[in-house]
Amino acid sequence: MSVHTQLLEVLVCPACKGALEQVREEAATLAALDCPKCRLRFPVRDDIPVMLLDQATRIPA
Amino acid sequence: MKALVTGVAGFIGSTLAQTLLEAGHEVVGIDCFLDYYPRATKERNLAAFRNNPRFGFVQASLVDADLGSLVAGVDHVYHQAAQAGVRSSWGDEFRIYSDNNVYATQRLLEACRTASVSKFVYASSSSIYGDTTDLPMRETSTPKPVSPYGVSKLAAEHLTWLYWKNFGLPTVSLRYFTVYGPRQRPDMAFHRFIRAVQTDTPIVLYGDGEQSRDFTFVADIVAANMAAAEAGTAGAVYNIGGGSRTTVNEVIAIIGDLVGRAPQVDRRAVQLGDVQHTAADTSAARREIGFSPRVTLAEGLARQVEWHREEHAA
Repeated sequence: MSVHTQLLEVLVCPACKGALEQVREEAATLAALDCPKCRLRFPVRDDIPVMLLDQATRIPA
Repeated sequence: MKALVTGVAGFIGSTLAQTLLEAGHEVVGIDCFLDYYPRATKERNLAAFRNNPRFGFVQASLVDADLGSLVAGVDHVYHQAAQAGVRSSWGDEFRIYSDNNVYATQRLLEACRTASVSKFVYASSSSIYGDTTDLPMRETSTPKPVSPYGVSKLAAEHLTWLYWKNFGLPTVSLRYFTVYGPRQRPDMAFHRFIRAVQTDTPIVLYGDGEQSRDFTFVADIVAANMAAAEAGTAGAVYNIGGGSRTTVNEVIAIIGDLVGRAPQVDRRAVQLGDVQHTAADTSAARREIGFSPRVTLAEGLARQVEWHREEHAA
């Protein structure tokens, strides 16, 4: 397993430190990391997880 | 060995990460892409190793990220992240410096305190010495920074020592003296000078050019970091200088020769926070971590000029 894949598995929500759920799109591409507790979605852009609170969005209902 | 490199998309952080990967280490990198200079420049810095399977990268801020998960299983932490810039650290902007240089360092140290980190290497700065006439600068000299930036770097350096003293976290601080080379930040002097001469536009020079610096090539800084991680004395501070103190006027003349064009110089008043001279006493680093700068100013400048040529040809 690559270091990057390992890293994706240990990242937690910067707000509540809770576990994140991986959101995948077409061709199983990782698109975002969701915090179900805070209802925040952290984007993954070009395979880079963006764990910045000011760039997170609300998880669509 | 597994390393965490903060500020991994920056000038020094990316060069360090690439060298660690080439040496067979695993590297986790973090960078928040502060907007001090363009993100595209930092993405180019990462491009050479971005897809290396031994490299993992997260865009996050040390100010609010969960750092415990990032330092878990890491042997060496290389804390290169900082808000750079002496002249822009005055006034309201200081909050950016206190957050990103002081508070961020404290958070990282706190995360490392309970992890299994065997060495925490902090990127300090010669700016902590201030405008002294007592040259060369020695680690035992009383620091008197003359810019808020220098104050923030010194505060963080004191924090690293404090975490060693109180919690036994093995920290080492390296005081960098004017670093240059490929990937140098666009606001830094050599970068601006070389681009000005290459494009036949005036170099904006603050002061009379007789100010001197102990210029240090980036590969020597990287080597010092790796040596400090392996052999640095916990709690120690080391000057890391290139051993080639030179005036800015002399540098401009060398750049003119390398580019093959006479530089134009637009001389302006000295800026608040600038110091007149720097020179490093590196005897402690030589003795304890075997530091010995290998790249001369002429050779290093030639490599940086070549890098600019390639960057702008691409």
